[in-house]
Amino acid sequence: MATVFMKWLETSPKDYDRGIQLLTLGKLQHVKERIVRDYIREGTRVLEIGCGTGTLTAMMAAQGASVTGIDASPAMLAEAEAKLGPDIEAGRVTLKLMDATLVGDRFPKASFDVIVSTLVFSELSPDEQRFVLEACTTLLAPGGRLLIADEVVPPRSLTRLVFYLVRLPLVLLTWLLTRTTTSALRDFDSLLAQSGYRSAVPVSCLSGSLVLYEAALSQTPGTEFQSPIPKLRHRVTLRTLLVDLWALFFRIIPPYPKFKTGLYAIGNPDRKSPVLVTGNFDLTVRRVVKALDGRADIWLLVADSAGINVWCAAGGGYFTAEKVIAAVQSSRLDEVVAHHALILPQLCANGVDGWRVREETGWGVHWGPARAADIPAYLAAKRKKTDAMRWVRFPLKDRLEMVTVTLGFYGLLILLPVFIFWRSMFWPVTVSMVGLSYFYAVVHPWLPGRDGLRKSVPLTLIALAGLFIYTALRDPLPAERLFNWVVGLTALSVFTGAELQGMSPVMRGEQANWGWEAVIGAALGLVYWLTPLALGWR
Amino acid sequence: MGSEPGLMDTLAEHWEIAKKLRSLQIHFDPEKCKGVWQCYEVCPIGCWTPDYERRVAIFHDPEKCVACGACVLQCPEDAIELK
Repeated sequence: MATVFMKWLETSPKDYDRGIQLLTLGKLQHVKERIVRDYIREGTRVLEIGCGTGTLTAMMAAQGASVTGIDASPAMLAEAEAKLGPDIEAGRVTLKLMDATLVGDRFPKASFDVIVSTLVFSELSPDEQRFVLEACTTLLAPGGRLLIADEVVPPRSLTRLVFYLVRLPLVLLTWLLTRTTTSALRDFDSLLAQSGYRSAVPVSCLSGSLVLYEAALSQTPGTEFQSPIPKLRHRVTLRTLLVDLWALFFRIIPPYPKFKTGLYAIGNPDRKSPVLVTGNFDLTVRRVVKALDGRADIWLLVADSAGINVWCAAGGGYFTAEKVIAAVQSSRLDEVVAHHALILPQLCANGVDGWRVREETGWGVHWGPARAADIPAYLAAKRKKTDAMRWVRFPLKDRLEMVTVTLGFYGLLILLPVFIFWRSMFWPVTVSMVGLSYFYAVVHPWLPGRDGLRKSVPLTLIALAGLFIYTALRDPLPAERLFNWVVGLTALSVFTGAELQGMSPVMRGEQANWGWEAVIGAALGLVYWLTPLALGWR
Repeated sequence: MGSEPGLMDTLAEHWEIAKKLRSLQIHFDPEKCKGVWQCYEVCPIGCWTPDYERRVAIFHDPEKCVACGACVLQCPEDAIELK
């Protein structure tokens, strides 16, 4: 079930539009109108990077422009396609599913009069920002303009304080209503200058926190500015503790804590040091750093996996060859290391096509160990993987952690309604659920049955045996109440057994159990309803 | 809150996945296998073993397979199917 709710909670395109409207207090629309009024004419060739649901695309097409819109999100693009049907048919609009970092390779030089991008750059890492800006210098036709509308952190400290104070409740409200959130740009003017542009700010709203940059190619070419590659160390701070605490219970509730994508150094890597790739789930990156800091000198390339762990992101289509290619190209790995070998997490092989990465980047792909903790030994053995590094296990520590994650989620889903509507049953249900879950986590390997559903049969029997022994010895219950307990514990045991299955790669996804869960649930419902009628209890 | 994307739609979509997931099985054509052994490299369960003498992969323990599709995606010879 968790998978469904994760998916459902993800920001839908319409939610996203509403969220942005709310976050920018409607001002983004104003900025878009200014873009169309001041820069778009009949026949203007426009590239829109991150067209989203196509609001601005439609406005520009209506003005007579010929627009190419790209977006990395299939859901957003589908919404845009529906909205822009007639424009696409008439050839005024072309939409492409593409990552922003790939624009330089995919379009002819000097082919656009205007390149426009709203609320995209703030989602990119500094490396990616510079990479896309430089790609745009080749795509702009002579006299062309690059227009970037985005949220920025106000430069002055007082306005910055006001910005954060006003923004915090707004961010919370927007997230609650639409699960949408954004980040803000810092010091973007100097980045534009370094990338070879002269820029101005023709529109500025919300005390300078939402601005439009107008940039044109400057005569002086961009300074070959190389930002130092940030170094990652294993550190425990208040922030990491809070994120860990949140993740322990609620990691499957979006939005997931993300790490900025890009290239990082761990230890003191040089031109011969290995390059590891991973996804941008905050917990993943920190666990990799923890496993490697002080043990190896490596480059860590954090690619966009939508803030999801690599196994689930690759399985769900969020972590793909395209994302790895984009990360390789935008990070300028070629200039940093003298070899061409990428080490990918083995557990993303279910979604990242290694052959496509090899063909498109020319880099070799090696599948690293399943667990971060094995990376130092794997590197020491010159990328030789033992079977123990290759095969996933589900040890007690992981089982306890994942049971806590499920409890956090189902705690909200089941215990909250029980607390509100059925207060008298709150503690019995809570104690049974928590007790059963941790008991299951401990005995999991010894319960017969290969999958969670089959293991739930012995789990149910043990729970019922416990119930009968307890009631017989300590607290005899009347038959009606004992019956309720039997039905309740059976349901809870089947659910607990079947759902933990999705929490480890050692078993198929928990969806495999849904059919049987539904049948058992319906049967129990029927028993709960019919038995008292048959026995004359009601 | 709005009704989109619709809990029922999401449920229906996942129900389709659910129906397939339980019965998905690996179908391996050893004739096509050239002994690249990417399947062995990426399988998190250990369902594949390289046969170094005959330069082919051997698929065993089908009941352990978690149907993740990694071997299917990484096989350069399209010798593996999941259906």
